[in-house]
Amino acid sequence: MVPELRQSLFGVEFQAPVLLASGTCGYGREYAGLIPLDELGGLVTKAVSVEPRSGNPPHRVAETPGGMINAIGLENVGLDAFASEKLPWLRENLARAHVFVNVVGRTVEEYAAVVSGLDGEEGFLGYEINVSCPNVKGGTMFGTDEAALAELVGRLRSETERPVIVKLTPNVPDIGIYARICEENGADGLSTINTFPGMLIDIHLRKPVIGNVSGGISGPAILPMGVYLTWRAATACSLPVIGIGGIRSGEDALQYILAGAHLVQVGTASFVDPAAAATVQEGISSYLAGAGIGSLSELVGGLRLPEHGQH
Amino acid sequence: MPVAIEPKATEILSPIRHRAEVISSRRVATDTWWLEIDSPEIAGRAEWGQFVMIGFGLEHLAPPFLPRPFSVAWRAEDGRIGLLVRAFGVGSRRLAELRAGEHVLLLGPLGRPFRLEPGSRVVCVAGGVGLAPFLFLAGDARRQGFDVDLLYGELTADKVFDTRLIEELTGGPPIVWTEDGSLGRRGRVTEGLRVEGPVTVLACGPTPMLRALAGRAAREGFDLQVSVEEHMGCGVGTCQGCVVQGADGRWRKACTEGPVFYASELTWSPS
Repeated sequence: MVPELRQSLFGVEFQAPVLLASGTCGYGREYAGLIPLDELGGLVTKAVSVEPRSGNPPHRVAETPGGMINAIGLENVGLDAFASEKLPWLRENLARAHVFVNVVGRTVEEYAAVVSGLDGEEGFLGYEINVSCPNVKGGTMFGTDEAALAELVGRLRSETERPVIVKLTPNVPDIGIYARICEENGADGLSTINTFPGMLIDIHLRKPVIGNVSGGISGPAILPMGVYLTWRAATACSLPVIGIGGIRSGEDALQYILAGAHLVQVGTASFVDPAAAATVQEGISSYLAGAGIGSLSELVGGLRLPEHGQH
Repeated sequence: MPVAIEPKATEILSPIRHRAEVISSRRVATDTWWLEIDSPEIAGRAEWGQFVMIGFGLEHLAPPFLPRPFSVAWRAEDGRIGLLVRAFGVGSRRLAELRAGEHVLLLGPLGRPFRLEPGSRVVCVAGGVGLAPFLFLAGDARRQGFDVDLLYGELTADKVFDTRLIEELTGGPPIVWTEDGSLGRRGRVTEGLRVEGPVTVLACGPTPMLRALAGRAAREGFDLQVSVEEHMGCGVGTCQGCVVQGADGRWRKACTEGPVFYASELTWSPS
């Protein structure tokens, strides 16, 4: 029997639980012909801001132990070009995979302008709100300020009836507080987590490797932190959670699912192998088949905790 | 404030991803190996100046965790591609020391190739492992009837790639320069460039070398194509990691808008 991977979430059905993470799949088209995009659960676009952004100087990426550091700086084509040049391709080429548009801004008004500017367009399901970019000035402001986050989420809720997912930063003392703020202000779900701030130094040049000095760390190195914070967020509120951080196999994804995630995103692994998301999807399926589990949804939040111990 | 806008890209074929076997490995200079990999799919399509991403796949966490870009240095009718790999750090050393029978994950061919002007003399200026694309190009171009000069510079003689193999692959001897004079002519390879008559000048090597050539191209008024290098994440334009600065201040992706640019398309500020 083929295990059931479908899940109903955000008012639609996801044919599979794996999405490509924002910033690792461009606007989808970059992977056309290379991987079977429409067989995935979906993808999250590169961040879209009101105006085009030029991004940071090089080096923008470098390898770190078990992962990478990046400081792209939210380079993107901006709202208008996204709507006219990028969204049509997604609309015309993806029939089953769902698209979330990652949204970024410096102010509540900028976020709201992107959402209201795109809301009448077709070709995507909802928004992933980026309040957690470590690579631009003020990029995590909304993700680390409780009042600012509440205002932002509430405002975006009033702008759209589409699903609003908030992508949280790991860089807070208690992610549960921010998860509840999103829930109380009308978010439909959470993505946990964005990258961890980090730094890499070239000892010969005595300079930071990354042009932006610091960057965000991603990849397998952050898997356990992502699993932990996903569990914390999922148990702190009743919103559906999309787990992100270091996933490169079905087993990795299932850790997030057991921690409470309904869906997962594959990011850095796609750079190592463009087929990573499909590999993760197949890995989940073969694990379920081998374990005699009929449906993935049986495992969501199915973590068995010890009776004693600090949780 | 410069903004990023993608060029009106002509459609290029989707790259091929496949697991490939290393057929042979041969040390050709200090820290430098010549690898031949079985990849009929990529060998059949690769153009001069295009590159492949080479890595080990998802199971592999030790360096190189991320795949690394290498110019396609040669391609054979039997489906082998040749790569010239120099060990600079831990990750590139692991790739340089690949042995026959090992498998790698290849993605390619990627990027925009060099263009040759019909009827021109072709001058290739190679610095270090920047030699790689010209092993492929010089041989092909000579067979197509172009006059080709291959200027090849290294710091010292021990770094110089086997000159007999260069001759075998390209159908002619390279003009070798070493900065210490330990082999060939003494000095920087850029000193060897003479631009007279209709000429296509191509360069690949360290950024300071490309910068020096770009300065001459601007002063002397000749077209120069350069193959640039920058830290790369994905190779296909999704991560936007590998940018170089365009002449208009905008960031250009080395992977999909390059790696070959006209020098006049880029900004050459001192680093």
